[in-house]
Amino acid sequence: MNRSLTFEIFRYTAILLALAVTLIPTLWMASMAFKPIAEWSAAGADLTWWPKSPTLDNFRFIFGTSTSDLIVALDRTAGKPILASLLSAVFGTLIAMTAGTAGAYGLSRFGSGQNLPLALIQLRLFPPMAVMIPVMIMWAFFGLVDTWWGLALIYGIVTLPFAFWLMKTFFDDMPREIEDAALVEGCSRLRVFMKITLPMMRPALASSALFVFILNWSDYLIALLLTTREWVTIPVYMASLSSSMTGQLYGAKAALGLIAAVPPVIMGIAIQKHLVRGLTFGALKQ
Amino acid sequence: MSMLATEEKLSVTGDRSTPETRIEDGGRRLGLMLTLPAQLLVLFIAVFPLLMQLYISLTDWSPLDGIGWWQAYELWNNFANYTDLAADSRFWDALGRTALVMAICVPAEFLLGLGLAILFMDNFVGKRLFYSVMLIPMMVVPAVAGYMFFMLFQSGGPVNDIVSTLIGRPFALAWLSSPGTALIAVMIADIWQWTPLMFLILLAGLVGVPEDQMRAATLLGASWSQRFRTIVMPKMKTIIIIALSIRVIENFKIFDTLYIMTGGGPGVATETISVYIYKVTQQDLIWGYVAAIALVILIALSILVSLAISRMNAAKEA
Amino acid sequence: MTAIHLENLVKRFGAFTALKTMDLEIRDGEFMALLGPSGCGKSTTMNMIAGMEQPSGGRITFDGRDMNGVAMGRRGVGFVFQNYAIFTHMNVYDNLAYGLKVRGTSASETDRRVKAMADFLQLTPMLDKPSAKLSVNILQRLAIGRSAIVEPAIFLLDEPLSNVDAAFRAVMRTELKHLQRQFRQTMVYVTHDQLEAMTMADRIAVMDHGVLQQVGTPLEVYNDPVNLFVADFIGSPGMNLLKGTLADSDRGLVIDLGALGVTAPLDPALSAVARTNGVREVVYGFRPERVVLATAGQGLAMPVTFIERIGARTVVHFGDGEQRVKAVFDNDIAVQTGETVHVAVEPRFARMFDAATGVAIREV
Repeated sequence: MNRSLTFEIFRYTAILLALAVTLIPTLWMASMAFKPIAEWSAAGADLTWWPKSPTLDNFRFIFGTSTSDLIVALDRTAGKPILASLLSAVFGTLIAMTAGTAGAYGLSRFGSGQNLPLALIQLRLFPPMAVMIPVMIMWAFFGLVDTWWGLALIYGIVTLPFAFWLMKTFFDDMPREIEDAALVEGCSRLRVFMKITLPMMRPALASSALFVFILNWSDYLIALLLTTREWVTIPVYMASLSSSMTGQLYGAKAALGLIAAVPPVIMGIAIQKHLVRGLTFGALKQ
Repeated sequence: MSMLATEEKLSVTGDRSTPETRIEDGGRRLGLMLTLPAQLLVLFIAVFPLLMQLYISLTDWSPLDGIGWWQAYELWNNFANYTDLAADSRFWDALGRTALVMAICVPAEFLLGLGLAILFMDNFVGKRLFYSVMLIPMMVVPAVAGYMFFMLFQSGGPVNDIVSTLIGRPFALAWLSSPGTALIAVMIADIWQWTPLMFLILLAGLVGVPEDQMRAATLLGASWSQRFRTIVMPKMKTIIIIALSIRVIENFKIFDTLYIMTGGGPGVATETISVYIYKVTQQDLIWGYVAAIALVILIALSILVSLAISRMNAAKEA
Repeated sequence: MTAIHLENLVKRFGAFTALKTMDLEIRDGEFMALLGPSGCGKSTTMNMIAGMEQPSGGRITFDGRDMNGVAMGRRGVGFVFQNYAIFTHMNVYDNLAYGLKVRGTSASETDRRVKAMADFLQLTPMLDKPSAKLSVNILQRLAIGRSAIVEPAIFLLDEPLSNVDAAFRAVMRTELKHLQRQFRQTMVYVTHDQLEAMTMADRIAVMDHGVLQQVGTPLEVYNDPVNLFVADFIGSPGMNLLKGTLADSDRGLVIDLGALGVTAPLDPALSAVARTNGVREVVYGFRPERVVLATAGQGLAMPVTFIERIGARTVVHFGDGEQRVKAVFDNDIAVQTGETVHVAVEPRFARMFDAATGVAIREV
């Protein structure tokens, strides 16, 4: 179809505008991460869009090897929070994927656990804030507060609905002939699942795991409630990064923000074609 | 290519998953075994905690009282938490504010996302790249997004800089510390982050509209807007409902971005329901009261959701 | 009711030429089939008539009106898609009413015409049914009705029977032809199935590789193919084609088929054309059902390689390699695999093609 030139001009104008709005906040943070302290905060008149003298000081500062011209040194570096975020997100993903994949297969093939789909949707529905009191009490009771494994457990539960629903749609889409053939050959059901189904589903498992990881990595509220000092995650640590002497540590926070933002963006773009399926609980496939 | 699984089902009931083939006992046992972990996790997080929440909500218990939560009956308060809640204007204000944010953000995200999706319907140079870039905001950690917008809205920050350039005179509004504009800034951040989600879902729906039917409508003389109204929109109905539901649910929970940007302030100017509960939990520590608030919200949401689902099912029957 | 005229129509997709200078006149009220194998340019031609694609060259006129630049919604073209493209989210009534509604026809007028159309197509009992679950012949009627209700000048049908199973096609063909007679509309029908073209069309345009090969009534195309492609493509089995050399004999001009022997003398008129033409190397063609058994010593001696019994008829395969021949006989034919029989073709059924160009040698 020959759309008119006017439409094309309108299209590109609108898209470029949207791209600018999309990118400016991210670029501003990226630029801030490389600015020396002198360029951090400035009055409106002499605001710097690009670092005039780019530096890695902010990164050195949060890892404790430079004070970045600040009088203060950090009482703790970003190393442990990054580790906390990694451990809790990775193991949370593991829990969600294990329970979710097994459960989804059980439902998809054997019709077990008919209550799960709706129960899990409801789990996702409610604001975490509205169920946190009992969770906080229970976690305190089991000694799970302020540990990465306690965080991993709650992450595993919170993202279980996504893991379950994603894997369920993948299993529903998978042709059963191959499994049936193996069954006829005399393999047990469990063996078929472990040796045939799971290896075949490797791409689906990888996309689902990345999706769940992004969700876990993105958490702020739960970590804010369940960690206090030892195992705070990146967002919690970042919010605490300000000093009474210097006020907001813009550059340092931006550097940390950049470190936190890059992995999920790359992963998200990598699993682009499954995003719709994940976000809509499999109701919509692309 | 997009594959629509929506015309015939909105898979919340799980009925489609019953296999037609007969499953022997071995399969049934394995099925139970495989679903067990998920069942246990659901029980662990849903059933027991809810009972605990109900119990505590009937008392004045606080972690500072020095007695275990199971002894909270000593602090039984005759439903005072619930009567207090009815009169708690800060709670109702927070609820109203949450509704206001939702009423503005969700439609804005929907319209912007739909507009962008329409622009992406056919092929053009750079489409794939633009598409990927467009998705970035929703993948940025919300807390980090909150920090980005915290920086952007500083009085000496880029937003004011751009406004100054546009209006040609210095502009130095302290967005986040004035009650009127703080909420606007928070909403802008939410719209920035979640318009891509609407865009993504709606685009998947748009490209799933059968091209032949669109052509048939064109050949019958339908204009672009007539085709949009009579073919595209009806076919997108389920998808639009899904997209809106997701955003309404998520928007109701709004916390991370907002809390990093304003902490609910100045004063209570941006205090939404999640922020309010958080503050009562962390700062006031009256957990019996928090449990009551949480329970009321849970029950209200459950009623709304089951209403929505039964209405959708009824619509599907018809 | 409109005549369609394609003049020097060309369509290129980048470096690929889908259609090379096509000229075709489709008469008012005619049922024209565009027939050819896939990739022959027939669908491209139709899409250009409908306005879904723009020609790279040449022009299309409806009753002399140039259609270049006329948007597809304004050409007055009814289009029946391969999968019918029924609006699955609407019921039968709303599908039928669609074209009228978008044109702003009044509600009462729309209702009257929808009911009349439903009545005409025997769709009245299902007006309220959702269209997603209708059977395929109802979908076909609905698709035609939906287009017909806005009274298009011409109807274009894009392989509407290709998704229908074989048993049902006969029913659908009959119904379609019947509808065309009633509507008396100009219809262009794209198909790769010669049976559909032969049974329904008034005239057939045979196409191959973007080139229009022959236009004619089904019988013309069948009996007098203009070249080897048409001879081979039309008919099932296709025309027998044997390479040979023209030779003079005491009984007149004959074709020497080498090992197979020599044909009966050619028809005098055809001989005359061949002589003036001066061609020596030719292809001898005849339809399988024109083959008759000859007495020994006469006609062509051919070994029977295979006998295919298909009920009412028996197809006998003769020879091998370049000199294969198929013949269709009644089912009581008494031949056996391995034996050599003599077959002949009446001169008036023999056709001849220039071996070098593939073009038919015939009286003009």
